[in-house]
Amino acid sequence: MGKSFLKNHPTMLVFLALLALFTLAITVFSEAYGSGLVSTSFVKTLGKTLCLCLVAIAMDVIWGYAGILSLGHFAFFGLGGYMIGMWLMYERTKEVVLRSLENQTIPPTETEISDAIATQIFGVVGSSDFPLIWSFAHSLTLQLILVVAVPGILALIFGWLAFRSRVTGVYLSILTQAMTLALALYLFQNDSGLRGNNGLSGLQNLPHVTAPQSEISMWFLWASAAALGFGYVFFTMMLSGKFGMVVKGIRDNEQRVRFLGYEVEHYKLFLFTVTAIVAAVAGALYYPQAGIINPAEIMPIASIYLAVWVAIGGRGRLYGAVIGAAFVSLLSTWFTGGQAPDIPLGFYTISWVDWWQVLLGVSFVLVTLYAPKGIGGLFDLLKRKEVQK
Amino acid sequence: MMNIKTALRTVLLASTIASPALAQDCPADGPIKVGVLHSLSGTMAISETTLKDTMEMLVAAQNEKGGVLGCELEAVVVDPASDWPLFAEKARELLTVHEVDVIFGNWTSVSRKSVLPVIEELNGLLFYPVQYEGEESSKNVFYTGAAPNQQAIPAVDYFLDELGVEKFALLGTDYVYPRTTNNILESYLEGKGIAAEDIFVNYTPFGHSDWSKIVSDVVALGADGKQVGVISTINGDANIGFYKELAAAGISADDIPVVAFSVGEEELSGLDTSNLVGHLAAWNYFMSAETEANAEFIKQWHAFIGDEARVTNDPMEAHYIGFNMWVNAVTDAGTTDVDAVREAMWGQEFPNLTGGTAVMGTNHHLAKPVLIGEIRADGQFDIISQTEPVAGDAWTDFLPASAVLESDWKDLGCGMYNTETQTCVQIESNY
Amino acid sequence: MKRLFFACLAVLAWASVGHAEGPLQDILQEHRALIEKPSRKTISPAIDDIAASGLDQAQRMLQAWEAKNLWQRTEDGLFYIGTTSGDALTLIDVDTGEELPETDKSAADQLKPNAGVRRLISSALVQFQLSDPNETRRLEALESIARRPEESHLAPLQASIEGEENRAIRARKERLVKLLSIAFADTPQAQIEAIEGVSGDLNLEVRAALNPLLATTRKVSDVIPAGENVAHVMRLGEDISRDEAYAALVEAGYATKRLTPAAIKDILAANIVDGQVGGVPVADLDTPEARDEAYRALAAAGTVPPFVSAEEVDEKLRTHVIYDAYNEPNGDVTKAAQSALKAIDLNVGLNQAADLGLDALSLASIYFLAAIGLAITFGVMGVINMAHGEFIMMGAYTGYVVQQVIPNHTLSLVVALPLAFVITFAAGVAMERLVIRKLYHRPLETLLATFGISIALQQLAKNIFGTQARPLTAPGWLDGAWVLNDVVSISYIRIAIFVLALCFLFLFLFIMKKTRLGLETRAVTQNPRMASSMGINPDKVNMLTFGLGSGIAGIAGVAIGLFAKVTSELGNDYIVQSFMTVVVGGVGNIWGTLAGAAMIGTLQKGIEWLNPSNTLAAQTFMIIFIIIFIQFRPRGIVALKGRAAGD
Repeated sequence: MGKSFLKNHPTMLVFLALLALFTLAITVFSEAYGSGLVSTSFVKTLGKTLCLCLVAIAMDVIWGYAGILSLGHFAFFGLGGYMIGMWLMYERTKEVVLRSLENQTIPPTETEISDAIATQIFGVVGSSDFPLIWSFAHSLTLQLILVVAVPGILALIFGWLAFRSRVTGVYLSILTQAMTLALALYLFQNDSGLRGNNGLSGLQNLPHVTAPQSEISMWFLWASAAALGFGYVFFTMMLSGKFGMVVKGIRDNEQRVRFLGYEVEHYKLFLFTVTAIVAAVAGALYYPQAGIINPAEIMPIASIYLAVWVAIGGRGRLYGAVIGAAFVSLLSTWFTGGQAPDIPLGFYTISWVDWWQVLLGVSFVLVTLYAPKGIGGLFDLLKRKEVQK
Repeated sequence: MMNIKTALRTVLLASTIASPALAQDCPADGPIKVGVLHSLSGTMAISETTLKDTMEMLVAAQNEKGGVLGCELEAVVVDPASDWPLFAEKARELLTVHEVDVIFGNWTSVSRKSVLPVIEELNGLLFYPVQYEGEESSKNVFYTGAAPNQQAIPAVDYFLDELGVEKFALLGTDYVYPRTTNNILESYLEGKGIAAEDIFVNYTPFGHSDWSKIVSDVVALGADGKQVGVISTINGDANIGFYKELAAAGISADDIPVVAFSVGEEELSGLDTSNLVGHLAAWNYFMSAETEANAEFIKQWHAFIGDEARVTNDPMEAHYIGFNMWVNAVTDAGTTDVDAVREAMWGQEFPNLTGGTAVMGTNHHLAKPVLIGEIRADGQFDIISQTEPVAGDAWTDFLPASAVLESDWKDLGCGMYNTETQTCVQIESNY
Repeated sequence: MKRLFFACLAVLAWASVGHAEGPLQDILQEHRALIEKPSRKTISPAIDDIAASGLDQAQRMLQAWEAKNLWQRTEDGLFYIGTTSGDALTLIDVDTGEELPETDKSAADQLKPNAGVRRLISSALVQFQLSDPNETRRLEALESIARRPEESHLAPLQASIEGEENRAIRARKERLVKLLSIAFADTPQAQIEAIEGVSGDLNLEVRAALNPLLATTRKVSDVIPAGENVAHVMRLGEDISRDEAYAALVEAGYATKRLTPAAIKDILAANIVDGQVGGVPVADLDTPEARDEAYRALAAAGTVPPFVSAEEVDEKLRTHVIYDAYNEPNGDVTKAAQSALKAIDLNVGLNQAADLGLDALSLASIYFLAAIGLAITFGVMGVINMAHGEFIMMGAYTGYVVQQVIPNHTLSLVVALPLAFVITFAAGVAMERLVIRKLYHRPLETLLATFGISIALQQLAKNIFGTQARPLTAPGWLDGAWVLNDVVSISYIRIAIFVLALCFLFLFLFIMKKTRLGLETRAVTQNPRMASSMGINPDKVNMLTFGLGSGIAGIAGVAIGLFAKVTSELGNDYIVQSFMTVVVGGVGNIWGTLAGAAMIGTLQKGIEWLNPSNTLAAQTFMIIFIIIFIQFRPRGIVALKGRAAGD
């Protein structure tokens, strides 16, 4: 299979090569391991963008390939971030606490240490006890399992309920949106045990690591690139062959596939869960680079933006999702960063900080109307021209 | 492999040496840069845009006076778009790409917690102008807004002593500032002999608009014949619905007084205040303060913004004091170097707009007088109480875990010093 | 010139000083320091002296003081009643009532007593005002008594009933006498009589008068002393935990305090000898057991106070009793108050349920109003319009803009409602023609395209109107609330929204069932091809229907802006709820939307009632409930059957 698989997916090879080249280039120009041309803050931006690309291909698989417009995948992304954030916060705080208790005359008891950590972490929300959900925060392994397990199980339960009762189309979109909103509102509460509106912060400071941020940011960039590459290969493999055909069949005519004897619900549930897990992994890589995770991150609007990226990039092709996510999110950073020059019109000055959202909204409508294949569609045009030649 | 790594290290080392030393006197490549880190879009733009304008005004005014150390100042404005992770990113960008010498910014606590690690890692300097919940003292941050003991505690004292309130409704938006403030207040009130069942606490989401149930709950508190008072930490827009419902229910300030910690001139400008006359707010500054400095400041603001109807508010005064203190500290230190400026900041004095002098303490908090104002029909406040200057307390005395903590960057060199065990809990702050 | 001016001023001042002396001014000057910086805690002597002076002018002066109209002249510290116009100030002598020549505001300081002091002033004014010829003043006095009932009010109040001519005021006075008698009557019999007179009364004042009689104090003793009016004896483990009980004993001085772990640690740290405490090496002291052992060893050696064992705690608890005792010594009075309150409580409970019902109804009507436009576009046409919230916002901003142009609030509302409809109708039609028409066969893409429009519109609103919330003020006749009693009330604005929602329900039914447009819409919805072959132009029908839905959203926006706020994010707050209202209710049926709104409103209020301290939790649980509900009734409460139910 190996050789023919590679042969059948030339875009995958191109993508992997480009990704490797990109990573190498950034490394060479980075502050930590290279010439310093690319600032650490930009390395972080790029690393985060790679994670967004990863969640975008997951979104593309569930929407572009299976036709399920989920407005909840950013919630899984955020959950992944929360899960890894718990360990990062616990471990870093534990370090601090142990250091401060070091030179006490009487050695501290277990409870005293854990109380001190809890006070440090939850003092900000006026509590000093560990909530139950932090039971595993002391162990990286357990918490890493949770990164996959919590969003996975949530997706499994939600998907099972929704697909079982044949909720489809826009209803499913609205339902997933409601789920996302409920989760965000729940996390907004201080009693949720995840520090409410403040969320988990200081995640960029890895415990037990003394390396400067310039190096840490590179490590995360490498990890994100690797995850993106792996995810790309994984989904390409999964969607090639019979499984992929069935999935596309479901998108195009669900009834027919069901009448052919396929358990449509199982396929959907599997895809929904797997993409949720990939989204969670992306989130677990993203938030240590962002430094803070809080409920505002997973409000429904974020998931809708995710769909926007995929649509602009081009649905139904993985590289389209990558292009869309990278293009829109980087452009967004550029425009809102105040670097884009204002356009003076004499009577009125267009300041991009104010008008970027309008531009984004309008261009999004235009893409939907006139270029349903998104930016990825351009490649089709090129290909066709080549063939014509 | 090893060789590559060493080679890379060498390059890195070389680049570190090559990079210019921190700004000495006038930087050759341009003016002294002042970073402004306020959201210009998103939900917080409502409040923060005003502060960005204030900073631009202050910088322009300082340049007219000849700048600082003979150099011109330049405001570098970025937009973190009310997105908390973006605050960290933009702070890093300000410090490493734009190489600013000081940052004025942030409004919400969560945004401050987001930039803290970055500011501390890169040894930056941040002036934070908003009243907040305390429980923090960073080496690299100067808090020019009120700590709970400079706003909440005096307001509660006023309720207890002057209005004879015996039963409290603590209403807040569900986020850290109200939560922590209410925790402190609950513990303070219990210390003052108010029974736990006489304290009603409620949290609502941001932008909450359906207040009828909560207002009737508050009214029902009066059933046992005790004077009820509301302490509101309701944030932003939600206040509008709350006050409208209060007015509709016919509750006057004489029946149930409401003291708000997040309602100032700016928030009231979106409201018809005729029904709110007599309700209270506690701040360190009111636009109606009758001093020459304040009249001058308001004039300057109106001229800068080109709109006579715009109001001034407490965080603006905080930036005004913070910026002027920074200018003086830089002048005293003769450099913009962060460590030197920080040391010059301790004990720095500057006149308040409301009279008296603000003093920067070694715990990086200001000593300021606390004002309590009654809302007037024109959306301004009658100042009915003004205390002596109160020193901002980084760690509250009313929560057991914090009571033992102290912050003193000058002598103890620590922002979180445990006086019981006599150890510094941590040098970085808790974020 | 300047010198001359000052000389004149000095003469004037001299003249006025001589002029201003009078009995009341003397009293004021005597308490000058207190009056300059008044505090509720210290001002009483001044007010008492003024009130007790028996001077007629005292009333006028106190009233002025209460209304923040008392001024103190800077140069000589004399007090005057002042009236201002612009920067000019006219001072009036407190004794003679004579007007002084007009001066500048800066010549005197306005005294602004705080609300606590003002309340004391108005309390002192009661004796003057109870028989004041002016009715408003009499009512003010009664109001003041109602707010702060004092024993001293009872007698003058009773005396003033005799001469009272106004019937309403007389009734109010009689009632207040009754309420005051509950607390302050001379004999317990009179008290009990008064209490029985108010049994079952819902009024907040009544409860406020009764409850203080039942105030209790927690007491600890070995035997309950005779003559104590005991409310309740605490039972261990049920009313009070062991730790609390023991803490109460410690506080009352009946027992010694148990050491906290932290205290034990401190003692241990203070007793380290050669790296050991009580024979335990310091390094081993990292478990609670080891610390207890070390402490016991120290205690056995007599170096530290002994450990209070669990048995000792039990013994102490067994031999003492903890109870709540009424502050009111007379048992009959408290019994009467209790039974009166019991009757009231039942009544209050019922009324609270009714009030909650009203709240739920009101919330439901708001959701319904926000969702009804969506019920048309989504429910009937199957178009997902994510910009629906922005149409609501546009309506609200229209209301705001109209109010800027037309200052009369009633008139502006009359203009704003149809104008909002027209504007959002036009916007809806434009959107249908330009965007949605092209996407009828791709519903998911409609969702995304309209979302793009939504973010663009939101940002546009921000660019035009700024990010600050804008005021949209309801006309005066919508101020206030419809008060059934002290428990049940609902603001007029909410009633108006309810009525508006009803109007729209009937309008919708009328259009759908009785007009040609409705008929055609239904036809196009059920089978567009068949409809068009019957001569119906589906394009036009879709356009009009969509415009109608959008227009109604605009009107809803005005209503929502009136009761809440106008911001660019107004639409965001309602969009998810609106969709859920439509989906839960059942798509394609207005009664379904109504049922959905009713369910969501009731549910949210119900959960809020169960957990009153956290409104956010109520919203969370409501959404989760809806998600689960949809699993079991995917087609909503009112599900369509047959062909129309197809996707």
